[in-house]
Amino acid sequence: MHDTSAHAVHHGVPTSFIRKHVFSLDHKVIGKQYYALALVAVVVGMVLSWIMRIHLGWNNFAIPGLHLLSSTGAPGNVLTPEYYLQLMTMHGTIMVFFVLTTAPFAAFGNFFLPIQVGAEDMPFPHFNMMSFWITFVAFLVLVSSFFVGDGPTLGGWTQYAPLSAVGAVAGPGQGLGVVLWASSIGIFCIGQLLGALNFITTTLDMRTKGMSLMRLPLSAWAWFITSIMGLTAFAVLMPACILLILDHVAGTSFFVASNLVINDQVLPHSGGSTLLWQHLFWFFGHPEVYIAIVPGLGIVSHVLITNMRRPLLSHRVIIYSMGSLAVLSYMVYGHHMFVSGMNPYSSLAFSFPTLVITIPSTIVVLIWLGSLYGSKLRINTASLFALGFISMFISGGVSGFFLAQPSIDIMLHATYFVVGHFHLVMAVAAIFGIFSGTYFWFPKMTGRMMNETLGRIHFWLSFVGTYCIFMPFHYLGIAGNVRRYQAFTDDYLIPLIPVHKFITIAALLTGLAQFIFIYNLIHSRFKGALAPDNPWEGTSLEWSTATPPPHNNFGDKMPVVYHDPYQYSVEGASTDYVMQTSPEQLKNAPDEK
Amino acid sequence: MTTAMTTDEAHKNTGMGKDLVVYLCMLALAAIQFVIAYQDISASQMFGRMLSVAVVEAGLALLFFMHLSENRGLMWFVLIFTVSVVLGMQYGWTDSFRILGGVPWAK
Amino acid sequence: MSQADLTMQGHSTAAMAEPTFSVPAKKMAMWLFIIADTATFAGCLVAYGFIRNSTPDWPRPFHSITNVALMTLILLTSSLTMLIGVRSAQKGDKAGAFRWTMITAVAGILFAILHIREWMGMIGEGATLFHNPWGTPLFGSLFFSITGLHLLHVTGGVIALVAVGLRYKAGRYRADDLEITGLYWHFVDLVWMFVVPLVYLLNLAH
Repeated sequence: MHDTSAHAVHHGVPTSFIRKHVFSLDHKVIGKQYYALALVAVVVGMVLSWIMRIHLGWNNFAIPGLHLLSSTGAPGNVLTPEYYLQLMTMHGTIMVFFVLTTAPFAAFGNFFLPIQVGAEDMPFPHFNMMSFWITFVAFLVLVSSFFVGDGPTLGGWTQYAPLSAVGAVAGPGQGLGVVLWASSIGIFCIGQLLGALNFITTTLDMRTKGMSLMRLPLSAWAWFITSIMGLTAFAVLMPACILLILDHVAGTSFFVASNLVINDQVLPHSGGSTLLWQHLFWFFGHPEVYIAIVPGLGIVSHVLITNMRRPLLSHRVIIYSMGSLAVLSYMVYGHHMFVSGMNPYSSLAFSFPTLVITIPSTIVVLIWLGSLYGSKLRINTASLFALGFISMFISGGVSGFFLAQPSIDIMLHATYFVVGHFHLVMAVAAIFGIFSGTYFWFPKMTGRMMNETLGRIHFWLSFVGTYCIFMPFHYLGIAGNVRRYQAFTDDYLIPLIPVHKFITIAALLTGLAQFIFIYNLIHSRFKGALAPDNPWEGTSLEWSTATPPPHNNFGDKMPVVYHDPYQYSVEGASTDYVMQTSPEQLKNAPDEK
Repeated sequence: MTTAMTTDEAHKNTGMGKDLVVYLCMLALAAIQFVIAYQDISASQMFGRMLSVAVVEAGLALLFFMHLSENRGLMWFVLIFTVSVVLGMQYGWTDSFRILGGVPWAK
Repeated sequence: MSQADLTMQGHSTAAMAEPTFSVPAKKMAMWLFIIADTATFAGCLVAYGFIRNSTPDWPRPFHSITNVALMTLILLTSSLTMLIGVRSAQKGDKAGAFRWTMITAVAGILFAILHIREWMGMIGEGATLFHNPWGTPLFGSLFFSITGLHLLHVTGGVIALVAVGLRYKAGRYRADDLEITGLYWHFVDLVWMFVVPLVYLLNLAH
């Protein structure tokens, strides 16, 4: 009908190598690119954590070749205290931004959201391509800080001012390192904004005939809700990063108070507020936590339902719970600041919604457990990792109740208790979600099955290993072990060193087990058994198209949706499950509207 | 240009007079802001009054210049989304007062 | 507002569900961008308010409001001319739509010139990002950051208006595209309604 449009979705099958694999407009290729980026990032982040763990367990242990990374940071292959902090900062930043945000949200969301809503592609393929490449540039900028000046910043992934804002006087990496860090995150924000625009418009405007919002699978809902959070959270982080850069390069002092003395120098800054950075950062930072975990909730629900062969107790309540998580995530950010010298009234005002936000999380978990009870769960690697996700989410979530209360948090703040809490509930849980999604969707993404035996070995090693690493963190925290120390020399900390050694060994072994996964991933990609179109007998739209999906997702005929997403074990149906695209009439369909 | 812009454009063509009225209202509100600036009141009072006027102005612009009044669903989506995010940012104020006054609330 | 946007996207309207809120993707994307940009501006203004509140001797250096009043008048009027342009486009009056869009762009340029003239005046008095003659250096930091962010939006808006206007004239864009650009322009106007009282009028010398 119309000859031209700036953002017409319809783009032909690409022919050149560059359009096909590099600057691809196809959401499926972009999804895989995001996945590859996350995979590289997670390996970098994991190796950094190994170096840190070895240093914590055996303070003078020389790690062969470490001086190649930084001759000043690791003279004689042993970390200096500053370089320990620099590696820790990079571990946190890489993991939070380039793994936990990109893999469950941008990677799987890009690949499967358009397919699950029944669209040919996202509405703005060029934005989508830019979104990935901008994120890629952000990653390069961040990693480049290893190799310039005196290395990356040491301020922690939260970059608390004034440490982050005063410049090189505060230590190695606090000059150029912080500028690169803030630039990288600022660039990252632009990429995520473009991604979020695409995700939301895909969900709202690109659904196929018959696909009402309530007929969307829970994974699609999770990506939609996540993108709504991402849209505004990153929009606040970006100006915060720009102000931080201005403090470095333009001589402003937004985040530095007057008369600050560092290393016997009075700084020329005046008038700013250190708390302001925390307010701006955590206004982004708390939604970010849910940006990392909500896609996991969706993926795990999707995987569990398919393997339980029956819908969850309630489809809508899960959606409403994820929605309330999104809304509440903007109201709780101050619980990161209970001991920052924040107004005590604010602590009260933040504590209440923080306890309230546990309610939707608990509801989701209870619906999962209630639905699992008595179901004949098909055990495979995907469903095992989904169960593992629930386990991590509960174990990590329970400690959240303690931390939500200012009076208890004053003691536990900045100890290993907090480290254990957020690693379990947000980091490892989200990564288990990624694993679950990978084992579940790999056949659709590549056309080949992953090796099930290796998958189960990977699961059990990861599951046991993760608990061995992070459960002792809680005990360490209660014993008063402060985080971000590079050595434990105080009297009360020395008896805890054996626990650290245990954790280090567990971390090394668990990390090694991940190479089973990477081997499985690469080997199966080329040598795995060919996958059928619907290996798990799922009902949603991704299973009604070819494996792997053709360029425009559904071939010549766009799908028409007749049913709610999860029609399993329906009475009177000819099979155990009824596809969303099946025109079969159902008499007693649960949830059918 | 084929059938593209036809469907629901017809009823919009009536509104030019309304645009002018809204424009004049916004000019008047902007003028009120300038008048408030010359009142002899404290900064916080001035802030409150000016912000209220600005919110009314923004509402007029959203509803009529940006045509939100013609699409209730979109209006609620945009308003609830934006207002909850902007309100979420307001937690920090008590800290800024406390830095100045040394007490939880402004003296 | 029509389904037309979707029909061009490869498969026929009949194969699609009704878009939520009946808003096609491009317009929805603009609304979403506006929401995100609101968060950006709100973050900056909150930062400004936070620091202004916690600084006891906040300077109030502005003596004349003539320039900012003129700027406000121009920006508000440009919103009206934008509306006229969009309505002309919706009626099918292509020449009129193009003319009014360009008038809007010219108003935007005028606004930017006045803005820069005012900046030059302040810089002439010795105000920079990190220093100013009236008191805390943060006054200059915040003033130039926030008005600079707005000026950046105006500049981007002028470029967008000219680009979209020309393409509309050439028949490559439709009335809807003009309307979407208009949404952005109204948003820039809307933000100015908050920047003026908070950044200028609150800092008026008495």
